[in-house]
Amino acid sequence: MATKGQISDPMIDPKTGEFAVIAPGHNFKSVTEKIAGVVLTSNTPLGWFFGLIVASGVATFLVIAVTWLFLKGVGIWGVTIPGAWGFAIINFVWWIGIGHAGTLISAILLLFKQTWRNSINRFAEAMTIFAVCCAGLFPVLHVGRPWLGYWLFPYPNTMNIWPQFRSPLCWDVFAVSTYATISVVFWYIGMVPDFGTLRDKAQSPLAKFVYGLLSLGWRGSTRHWMRYETASLLLAGLSTPLVLSVHTVISFDFAVAALPGWHTTIFPPYFVAGAIYSGFAMVLTLAIPIRKFYHMEDLVTLRHLDNMAKVMLGTGLIVAYGYGMEVFMAWYSASHWEFFMMWNRMFGPMGWGYWILIATNIAIPLTTLWSRKLRVNVTYLFILSLIVNTGMWFERFVIVVTSLYRDFLPSSWGTYKATKWDYMLYVGTLGMFSFLFLLFVRLAPMIPMNEIKMMLPQTKIKGLDAETTIEETA
Amino acid sequence: MAHGHEQHGHGALTEPKTLPASLQAPEVVAAWRTRALIVAAVAAIASLLFLFAGGADHVMRGYLLGWMMTFSLCGGGLCLLMLQYVSGGKWGLLLRRPLEAMTRTLPLVIILLIPILVFAKKLYLWAAFPTFESVEEGLKSKLLTEAQAHALNFKRPMLSPVSVIVQMVVVFAIMGAFTYFLNKWSLEREADPERGSQGSYDRWRIKFENLSGIGVLIYCGLLTIVAIDFIMALDVTWYSSVWGLLFLVGQGYVVLAAAVHSSIRLAKYEPMATILRKTEQYDLGKFMLGFVMLNIYLAFAQFLIIWSGNVPEELPWYLNRIRGGWWVICTCDFIFHWVIPFVLLLSRDLKRSRSKMLALTGWMIFARGFDLFWLIEPNFPDAARNLHLSGNLSILAYITVPVAILGIWMAFYLTTLMSRPLVVVNDPHTEEILEPEHAH
Repeated sequence: MATKGQISDPMIDPKTGEFAVIAPGHNFKSVTEKIAGVVLTSNTPLGWFFGLIVASGVATFLVIAVTWLFLKGVGIWGVTIPGAWGFAIINFVWWIGIGHAGTLISAILLLFKQTWRNSINRFAEAMTIFAVCCAGLFPVLHVGRPWLGYWLFPYPNTMNIWPQFRSPLCWDVFAVSTYATISVVFWYIGMVPDFGTLRDKAQSPLAKFVYGLLSLGWRGSTRHWMRYETASLLLAGLSTPLVLSVHTVISFDFAVAALPGWHTTIFPPYFVAGAIYSGFAMVLTLAIPIRKFYHMEDLVTLRHLDNMAKVMLGTGLIVAYGYGMEVFMAWYSASHWEFFMMWNRMFGPMGWGYWILIATNIAIPLTTLWSRKLRVNVTYLFILSLIVNTGMWFERFVIVVTSLYRDFLPSSWGTYKATKWDYMLYVGTLGMFSFLFLLFVRLAPMIPMNEIKMMLPQTKIKGLDAETTIEETA
Repeated sequence: MAHGHEQHGHGALTEPKTLPASLQAPEVVAAWRTRALIVAAVAAIASLLFLFAGGADHVMRGYLLGWMMTFSLCGGGLCLLMLQYVSGGKWGLLLRRPLEAMTRTLPLVIILLIPILVFAKKLYLWAAFPTFESVEEGLKSKLLTEAQAHALNFKRPMLSPVSVIVQMVVVFAIMGAFTYFLNKWSLEREADPERGSQGSYDRWRIKFENLSGIGVLIYCGLLTIVAIDFIMALDVTWYSSVWGLLFLVGQGYVVLAAAVHSSIRLAKYEPMATILRKTEQYDLGKFMLGFVMLNIYLAFAQFLIIWSGNVPEELPWYLNRIRGGWWVICTCDFIFHWVIPFVLLLSRDLKRSRSKMLALTGWMIFARGFDLFWLIEPNFPDAARNLHLSGNLSILAYITVPVAILGIWMAFYLTTLMSRPLVVVNDPHTEEILEPEHAH
């Protein structure tokens, strides 16, 4: 809600008092020029090249770490007994979680008819796909012999060996591969009309050819639009359960084990909420610099940032409830093992991890996101998104490491120390993610032109408006 | 009698509707209240017969089920009321008065709790063995197992008669405060001298949002306490961290069904007939489908984790609910509570049909009660035997006692519903809801 002093602000919708979803003054032509211009321009900004070089440099860590891993094996990592799961699983869960916001925005908010999603859904979907790519690397590398990674899939073979279907790690293979497939298809189908626009607007023959291929012969006929809308709704329907199911299955990786700290029934909803929480934080991390760099403030407005911050507040509170219930049940269970696990998590040698988690995931965001002033403070939100991303990484660190390194037998207690290869691999995936994302914003329309145009007043055909629309379109 | 769908000529298609002169609840509500009281009286007499025929245990267990249902409707009503203030949207406008009326049944819900606290020994080990000494004696006389004795002693700060009473005082005091302010402000909003202006809309919206946001949060904690104290603690050794959330969703399931049922029933008469459109009824149906799915999602996740964990401290809770005759109850619960509402709510036509939605929402209220039966009864050592009617007729108290309690609650609810106009006027959505349906 706008304050009195903001009423004359053109970005405030006088009817609702909320920030406008898109700034006034846009028409079909200006939307096309603004978004397609980023892709079709021959003058690539120097900043983009700079970003790509930095991202490539960071991604080199990944190449080096993976090469050394292939040569030496997983022994170069910090995993050992009792801490048999370490950075690889932490990073896998963290990246998969980040992807969830893209699916939520593109699928669930579409079904809920939330028009504010239109400006951010495309790059959120791209974020999902690149995050899943990063996530997928870790389990494949963790199997020790990645070239035999296809053994994870159940296929008829001469050895008559099948995966253990009762293991959630096997369910992960199906959940994540389905998720990746549906996300890619949804993302691509959504871009087809925009590829058609790029094909028509492109000057260079190569661009015309490539976007022509990608647009699958899109002509914008009524029949095409009808099929497009139907396909979008069907894919949204397919993706919606995936938002819940993927991270639920990942929570089962831990929860079905009889290990204090993992075996807890709150995990499924709390993992899903945490995934959305971290995913929205990552969307903010990406959206804020991009809207600034490409001057997209009129398309990705404060309304989007405010709404995303509200979603973070809601999901963050569910996560906080989950933490609270874990602590409470550690006492209520009257189980020595549960109680010790929580005490060790809080005050053991790695207790610092727990308190960083509480500070970054709960104390800082959930006390400040109630303030509307802070929710629309772009700088603050950017910093907060980084803080929450850090917090969510620590959440997985705490779950994986502090539950494992002191198990039931004190004689087998150990510790966990990540090696430089663990760090390089993680940082390398950040580089790879940034590299892919920068390529995406340069080569594909980062904001869906067709959906933004649907929101323009001109689409509501009423007398003069209709004439204006036709004129401007021409 | 209008049904809110303008199919009587071109003029009716384009002109917004106007509200009737009287916005009070129709007189028929008084007749419904009388019927509720008659049903409650008959069910109470039957329950007394079971009580005097030696079925005190079942009467108390049935009473607990009935009380949990009334608490779900009252507390769940409060939570949903706050949720609609936070989320906004037209759907909340239709349910606001029924939900407010549900929240104002809080005094009755508190009074109805007293017998549970007084006769807690019949239900809870923490009440039957309230001290370390009594636990020691129970252990010696083999009335308690080692695990139960350990749990009772360990959890005494939370599970003891004094502690539970203190917790309930706090829970109901907080719920009472939220109920008081939300209901008081709702009346003041209607009496606002600037009503109908953007300034008035904004001022009240922010006020309600600010209270409701924190209210939903606090309520989640309060409900968790109640769900643990009165249902989870029936088996003092068992625990599940998703329990509170499961009950929260279960409350959403039943209270949404009850509120939609109320609105559709009231929409046979003015003024609800004017404001209940198929569009919003359809949206409410989708909302109900969401709760149905969320409910089974959490229930199944809890089952899968405990089943796969196969830990002796946890698994018997499910084994007691699956083995023997309980397999039939468990299957029925799955079908009643999830399969039937899920399959039916997938239908667009059903969600838009008033008569079918009335039947389905009624069914969902029953299904929630059935689910509570599955949650409550197997906690007791005589549960397996109790599934046979022969020589065990008092098990029917699980039907008569909740019906009696719900009948009394219903009469009180209808009384509170009649005390205010059914339609909220000073709300920006009121105007939208009066627009012809094809405009959306």
